[in-house]
Amino acid sequence: MHRFSATKMLLEHVGDLPVVANLGPSSDELWHAGHRERSFYTYGSMGLCSSMALGMALSTDEKVVSLDGDGSLLMNMGTIATIGREAPTNLIVVVWDNEQWAQTGGQASHTAFGTDLERVALSCGIASTATVFDEEELTSAFLEALDRDGPWFIVAKIQEEEEYLPVAPVEPEMTLYRFRKSFGEKDV
Amino acid sequence: MDWAETILMALKESETSLVVYVPDISIHQVTKLIDDDDYFHLVSATREEEAIGIASGAYAVGRNSAVFRQSSGFGNCLNALASLCIPCRIPIPMFINLRGEVGEFNIAQVAMGRATRPILDVLGITHYTLDSDDRLMQRVSGALTLCHSSRQPLALCLTPMLHGGKLA
Repeated sequence: MHRFSATKMLLEHVGDLPVVANLGPSSDELWHAGHRERSFYTYGSMGLCSSMALGMALSTDEKVVSLDGDGSLLMNMGTIATIGREAPTNLIVVVWDNEQWAQTGGQASHTAFGTDLERVALSCGIASTATVFDEEELTSAFLEALDRDGPWFIVAKIQEEEEYLPVAPVEPEMTLYRFRKSFGEKDV
Repeated sequence: MDWAETILMALKESETSLVVYVPDISIHQVTKLIDDDDYFHLVSATREEEAIGIASGAYAVGRNSAVFRQSSGFGNCLNALASLCIPCRIPIPMFINLRGEVGEFNIAQVAMGRATRPILDVLGITHYTLDSDDRLMQRVSGALTLCHSSRQPLALCLTPMLHGGKLA
């Protein structure tokens, strides 16, 4: 399974729900899959994608989707415990797990050496979890996550892209502005 | 109204209902009030940069949020401020218990405590030091208004002269 193709598949099902993407290619591919007002692209703050999604989920009734990465989440594994503690029923975390830090030279990440992020989530009290290996399994898990209460934690094992898409032409300030405006904020 | 109640009231005035914190004994007095008040949702983060992420997410969907921690934890979240709040213009008021001040008993707290305000300066983050309850409501409420109108993070540094500090 490849992340860009899987991202396009997720967007077919996600409607207008807020989506926040991990820095780098996950954000670029989300943009190239089809720009939406409610896509939050990030270009720094590695590790905070699912923390941001948690803050969103605690502050809106809508389902919130995080598109995180294994290397990033390893940097901030404590947030899995916070998600388990807060247990927002409307949060869906998808972890693109390529078992490497692809942007820094393809060095193996800890998930290549036995760290099982799904089991971490389970041990933090997140009951609705899955590890999926192809788009069919991901679609099935994601549709269930959209339909049923969470929090959901879905580890999607992927092969890294052979080529990267151009960096999405988005300004961080405009990303925040668009996103907030879509939630009816007038003071932005 | 004591200093902790004043901060609580200022947060309510600015409709800041999500508070994310990493526990600290000197500001426990105010985070305890927040925890006991149904107006607020108090989230316990495992680390201070995580707190910035959670607070930023809340703001992104239209809910004002604030963070509480001590100066050591401010050191843990610099990149979150520099790469998320500043470029996106996310106004997160940060209440920081300033260690390394008068009465500090732990040498390990001194350097980060004393570096906190210079680092805020270098990042271009506006900060105020609260060291007494003189016109405290005006200071805190005014700082929260400025934080949101400028749409940038802002720090309020709380010293032992305000809250009494921690006894060794």
